Amino acid sequence: MKQALEKRMNWEDFMKRIIKAGIAAMGVAVMATTALAADWTPPGPIKLMIGFRAGGGADTQARLIAEELEARMGWKFIPEQVTGKGGLNLANALKDQPNDGTAIGMVVTETLGYNMAAANAGMTPENFTGLTTTAGFQMGVVARTDKGWNSFEDMITAAKGGQDIRFGAMSPKLADLAYLLGKAQGVDFNIVNVKGGKGVMNGVNAGDLDVGFMAGIQAKGVEAGDLINLASALSEPLVQTPDAPTFADLGVEYSADGYFVFIGPAGMPDEARDALSKAIVEIVSDESTKAGGLIKKAFGGVSVISGDDLTKLLADDYANAGALMDAASE
Amino acid sequence: MGTLDYIWMGIQAVFQGPELFSLFGLPISVTIVMILAGFLTGIAVGATPGLAGPIAMAIALPILISVFGYTPDALLPVMGFLIGVMKGATIGGAVPAILFNTPGTPDAFMTTLDGYPMTQRGKAKKALRVAHFASASGDTFSDIVLIVCAPFLALLVEAYLDLPEKTALLILSLSFIAAVIGGSPAKGLISTGLGLLAAYVGTGEDFYPRLSMGSPSLSQGFPIATAVLGVLIIGAVLKELEDLWRRKRDSGEIPAHKDEGDQRLHGADIRRLLPYVGRSALIGTAIGALPGIGSTLAATLGYTVGRARYAKKKRPGAPEFGKGASEGIAATEAANSSVSGANLIPVLSLGIPGNAAAVFLILAAESIGGFNPGPSVFRFTTDSVNPELVIAFGLFTAMMVANVLNWTIGGLFMRSMGVMIRVPKHILLPSVLLLTLTAIYVQETRMEAIWFAVGFGVLGYLMRTVAISPLPFVIAFILGGKLEESARQAFAATGGDPWFLFTNPGAALLMAVAFAVIVFSARKTKEVA
Repeated sequence: MKQALEKRMNWEDFMKRIIKAGIAAMGVAVMATTALAADWTPPGPIKLMIGFRAGGGADTQARLIAEELEARMGWKFIPEQVTGKGGLNLANALKDQPNDGTAIGMVVTETLGYNMAAANAGMTPENFTGLTTTAGFQMGVVARTDKGWNSFEDMITAAKGGQDIRFGAMSPKLADLAYLLGKAQGVDFNIVNVKGGKGVMNGVNAGDLDVGFMAGIQAKGVEAGDLINLASALSEPLVQTPDAPTFADLGVEYSADGYFVFIGPAGMPDEARDALSKAIVEIVSDESTKAGGLIKKAFGGVSVISGDDLTKLLADDYANAGALMDAASE
Repeated sequence: MGTLDYIWMGIQAVFQGPELFSLFGLPISVTIVMILAGFLTGIAVGATPGLAGPIAMAIALPILISVFGYTPDALLPVMGFLIGVMKGATIGGAVPAILFNTPGTPDAFMTTLDGYPMTQRGKAKKALRVAHFASASGDTFSDIVLIVCAPFLALLVEAYLDLPEKTALLILSLSFIAAVIGGSPAKGLISTGLGLLAAYVGTGEDFYPRLSMGSPSLSQGFPIATAVLGVLIIGAVLKELEDLWRRKRDSGEIPAHKDEGDQRLHGADIRRLLPYVGRSALIGTAIGALPGIGSTLAATLGYTVGRARYAKKKRPGAPEFGKGASEGIAATEAANSSVSGANLIPVLSLGIPGNAAAVFLILAAESIGGFNPGPSVFRFTTDSVNPELVIAFGLFTAMMVANVLNWTIGGLFMRSMGVMIRVPKHILLPSVLLLTLTAIYVQETRMEAIWFAVGFGVLGYLMRTVAISPLPFVIAFILGGKLEESARQAFAATGGDPWFLFTNPGAALLMAVAFAVIVFSARKTKEVA
């Protein structure tokens, strides 16, 4: 009995030792990676160009990430709004900045995809270094609940009954998608271009628009029952309203899948690229930070793509943009 | 979240904002300090001939933004300072008008008519007290009207105006401004047109940067600060420099007058002045609520109405209007001061600025971000906090704080500002020029911005030499983007109807008024001529 007890104690000691060793090893590994990240410090304050209107959800996300980076890493950020032309103004300004990590920007993948292809402005994704995505869009087709539409079907019925439907879109790509959606459903939407998701939401709330694309900003309103997600503009259902049909269900073979993405000028050294994207990923993945909390609440959670995967994603988006444009101009 | 909760949060945002220091254990928020600093600056600036509130606001804005940064936390301290300057300059302008017969700001011209004769009779201090009392009363009254009216007006606009009507309302505001500011509607329209032209460079929905002629520096358009500061401030400085050069500084002796007798303002005086103050405050507030009509017209109207009443009620032996009647000062100062608060009604409820001070408040909001003046500000959301609404009530609180400062220390500080007349213009003007250019560079940090600003400055100078008011230019520049946006949206929303401005009855009515304003004011100018 006693022997058995001793044996068990030894076994316990043994296990404890192993666990301790494991923890220590993990600690070393963690220290190694932080040491690696700490190897790179920006040679000066980092200019953070934000391609979104001040005060919106995307702008807040960028500023909160910068704030947390300053607190954690001790880097200094200078946020700056460079808006307009679907992010192309930012791309244009960023492309000639020093590529040592002291100038980065936040846009959406659409900027380097559809917009760059449509503008034919002498830029391709190869002029940039992709750092990391932070979140996808929870892109819904949203209406006010008091419109009385309980489903996407109700809206189409109303449109077929002769009601003009004003459809708010905040980018040319989304306008194309809205057009294709109408075409697939046999109705003509009056597609209104609005600046930013906040503009769409204000328009829908004020009654200037009947329905519109919102990329996550609708979360609170949907939760409160003031707004309703009629459809998901993504290839997948929305996290908040999984029952709403996707664009594929509605007969549109394209989707508004896309991400918020941090980019830098082309040819950024690997250590700068890795350090920046790693620091950003850590912050957005941590829901206890303000930035992580916002992403969880407003954008349905983090969605991180970086490194070579991101480079490939950006290149593919650019290459595939033509197909959507052709479809929409048929 | 009820309305009262929002008001309370706005008040807290001012008083419990970031703490600067604590006084006897009581934390003093940075916003309060900034309001005080702005208010004192404003009085000093208003009391300096050649300077005015907008100049101080223009120079301070970029510097403040670089100090406070681009976070929404910066909104209240920065805008609090600007509001302080706006209010201080209004009362400061009366000082040189009364003491030296030189109005510190254009709208204080009518104050010289009765103020200076009072000084000559040895009643300078009393005249200053009358001016301060009238000014502070008018200002406070106007703010109360603003706080009560702006939210309701915004809600009305949001509830009843559709996209075509919103577009027509913008066109109406622009034509109204073109018609009433400056000498003739034709000149006003030229100014407005140039402003729109400048606003449309590099903007628009197409991916190609329009009107940029392939130049990368134009492709982002003109930064708003360069256009506004260039035309308004640099243009004014260039014009003043030219005037100075022509006059070769006829440096006359500054006359000194001794104060004699009782300088206090008694209860009986106040009772006597109140009817004049009340009438003028109403006139000033009504005029201020219409975009574009400045405080100068309000002062003239207030003075005229005051004179008519005085002719009937005058006590025997009292001085005539224009010969040193304190009622004249009261009527003028109450009218021009009550413009400033009411002028923010169209700013906050519609996003349409009516005067230079309002332009700088919008500029501050646009540069910092997180607050977009317009009807969407006053959305009383119940499920979540609308941060813009909190800021709006914070601004109202800031205005009330400035009013309290005005009533308590404003008079004292104002009476000590007589020395500002001695600031020599040939030093003042180049300093303003240098500070303005520095301020623009601080905000834009690229050399093109300076060239743009100088270019707009030359434009502002040329406009002044041919007597075209630069204010419609600036307002059109600010509203240009909004006008295009709402017009495009209205066009799309009506299913591509090119006549959307005329098929919708509300929009058609607004358009008719817009044409009528131009036609009638053109006819009136002809008659005068």
